[in-house]
Amino acid sequence: MKTILAFFALCAALLVFALPASAQSGPLRIEITDGVVEPLPYAVPDFVAETPESIDMALQLARVVADDLTGTGLFREIPRDAHISTLTSFSSPIQFADWKAINAQALISGAVSVTSGQVTVKFRVYDVFAGTELGSGLQFAGPVDGWRRMAHKVADAVYSRITGESGYFDSRVVFVSETGPKDDRRKRLSVMDYDGANVQYLTDSSAIVLAPRFSPSGDRVLYTSYETGFPQIKVLSVGTVTSRSLQAGDGTMSFAPRFAPDGHTVVYSLNNGANTDIYAMDLDTGAQQRLTNTPAIETAPSFSPDGRQLVFESDRSGTQQLYVMPIGGGDAQRISFGDGRYGTPVWSPRGDLIAFTKQNNGRFHIGVMRPDGSEERLLTASFLDEGPTWAPNGRVIMFTRETQGAQGQAALYSVDVSGRNLKRVRTPDGASDPSWGPLQ
Amino acid sequence: MHIGHYISGAGHVALIGWLLFGQAFRSDPPPLEVTEVAVLSEAEFAALTQRAQPPESTQDIQAPVAPAVNEDAPVPPPSNPAPEPTPDPVPEPEPVPEPPAPEPVPQVQAPDVSPRPVPRPETRVAPEPVEQSDPALPTDVESRPDTTPDAEAEVVEPEQDAAAPEAAATEIVTEAEEPASAAPVTSLRPRLRPQNLQTDPTPPQTAEVQDPAPDLSDQQAEAVNAALASILSGGTTNPEPDVPVGDPLTAGEQNALRVAVEKCWVVDVGSQAANVTVTIAMQMDRDGRVVTNSLELISSEGGDGSAVDAAYRAARSAVYRCQGDGYELPIDKYEQWKAIEMTFNPEKMRLR
Repeated sequence: MKTILAFFALCAALLVFALPASAQSGPLRIEITDGVVEPLPYAVPDFVAETPESIDMALQLARVVADDLTGTGLFREIPRDAHISTLTSFSSPIQFADWKAINAQALISGAVSVTSGQVTVKFRVYDVFAGTELGSGLQFAGPVDGWRRMAHKVADAVYSRITGESGYFDSRVVFVSETGPKDDRRKRLSVMDYDGANVQYLTDSSAIVLAPRFSPSGDRVLYTSYETGFPQIKVLSVGTVTSRSLQAGDGTMSFAPRFAPDGHTVVYSLNNGANTDIYAMDLDTGAQQRLTNTPAIETAPSFSPDGRQLVFESDRSGTQQLYVMPIGGGDAQRISFGDGRYGTPVWSPRGDLIAFTKQNNGRFHIGVMRPDGSEERLLTASFLDEGPTWAPNGRVIMFTRETQGAQGQAALYSVDVSGRNLKRVRTPDGASDPSWGPLQ
Repeated sequence: MHIGHYISGAGHVALIGWLLFGQAFRSDPPPLEVTEVAVLSEAEFAALTQRAQPPESTQDIQAPVAPAVNEDAPVPPPSNPAPEPTPDPVPEPEPVPEPPAPEPVPQVQAPDVSPRPVPRPETRVAPEPVEQSDPALPTDVESRPDTTPDAEAEVVEPEQDAAAPEAAATEIVTEAEEPASAAPVTSLRPRLRPQNLQTDPTPPQTAEVQDPAPDLSDQQAEAVNAALASILSGGTTNPEPDVPVGDPLTAGEQNALRVAVEKCWVVDVGSQAANVTVTIAMQMDRDGRVVTNSLELISSEGGDGSAVDAAYRAARSAVYRCQGDGYELPIDKYEQWKAIEMTFNPEKMRLR
């Protein structure tokens, strides 16, 4: 009996499948809901050297652009060996059929010229399958020493035209450079390109420094210094590499500073010997304002991009959790309710997510959640992950990962907000506490 | 009577005769095999079993001679804590002499097992310092010379892959996910049977110039009648241009087109464009290819302008990349798919 029923059910299914769809009016309508997640294939032929002095630079520029794009995990470069066409002139017409044949969806052409110590880079981006140019050609000019930064700018423009979002390649990261064993670690404030190149040291290793934070414009850095034996907040001018202390009050310890989006206000934690609460200070007038007042330990404040809300960590509920409170007044609302402890929240520049560190079952995670606490997702898992910071476009998170054991060393890692493309950022020494600066 | 009855009767008679006279029902049991046994007294049994037991004492067994202590041999360190690391290379220890084999013990029957394996001479000094397994145990950190970083020495970065070690990705979904493969997720759908060859052998190129009057289907005839009725009633003379005539595509035919486009729709799940649903419209030629410059964005939902642009480009690219020499669509239903609207909804793809 079952066999008969199954036979009739199969016949009915086949009949439904083969029958014409419901009466159609107007054009045929199809809904596509399942795509593929894969890097977008693109091609970057060697940039055209328009002057004899720019031959090497043309090659290097194209390689940096390709490294930037491929390093995002969103793009896949088609090897130059597979190219059918060659671009001998920046203005020569594009043979789209040749690039379609190798399945290049985007094509980047460029040219470089060097005259009198000035380098000029121009480029175009093409949608190969549409046979059109994305945007219009663009040109950068600057000193020869800044060729690498110009390559980052080209990559940012290409990234923006293809994805519709701003890039993050021409940005810098301030971090703590670490050398020596764990029990005698030397720490210095350092700044580098987003990819770990061009490391420069901002302080010596005479005093322990922690938690540097870029200002919204990237011209200043807040950090915590143990120069006096107690944690004190300092602000350093990147241009002059000079720093000054913020006077938070005698007999107090201040730490975990962070700029407000306006760049004129700093929020931080202050411990007066009995309690730790969050305060705000106007950098112009030095006026302080207490933002929280509970017997709990409350620290790690971070502003929303619009400056109207603050997310921070507190143990007022008995365990370390995340809270969001309006700056204009009102109670803080707890947003983290999962297992484990949550800390170091950082609001995304987009405003749509909050990154955090989570400790649960002896493992550390970097995760993200919506500002209301929903859609929590853990992106990493290791012995020790902490201190997330957002790329200026809110697409990538950089954080500290420390390995286990006496010989364990801290290093910087980055991960896409989707959880893909986890990779290490190469630095010459150990590195921790990254803070991603703005796009320059 | 048939011959078959005779044969059957003869066979039954033969069978009954064999049963009665052939000793088929003989009740005699088959002969048993007989084995002679001997009866033993209790004393004899005890004597037999006593001989099979090992001697009461092992005093007669000579213990193997212990190897002579070699003063030069390195002293094995305690297993815990770990030996103090020294920069000098550890001297190669002399091989431990193999202990002499024990003399055979008389009157002891050898067990029915393989001989005891001879211990392999091992180096008792660990070739390299062993990392302290339990951090709670005392360590020799205090006794170690202070190590200072050599500022001039070149820091050797351990070679690492571009991606994080796989071990870090084993406990959560996101880190455990493998990079998206370029391989197609599903196998190619079989190409549709060219139904038009049987129903309409006319080449597509000439189909446009055919006079449709002789081949009017019922629906077309109804459409003509409706148009005539409309004229007679004073209505407009233009038939509804958006209503295609003929049988609509089956669900399977529509699904084939959907699958063909989905293979080329690349979704950046972490981008703002993943929050945008776009609908594009296009005109198709009879080869199943998009008519040049006919593809356009007709609506979008969610996201700002740049996100909509990115979502539109992804949709457009999907249509163009996968069309190849033309999508497999039934030519006899061309009127049904010469105009197509496709909606690209990434809702299922977000945060995958």
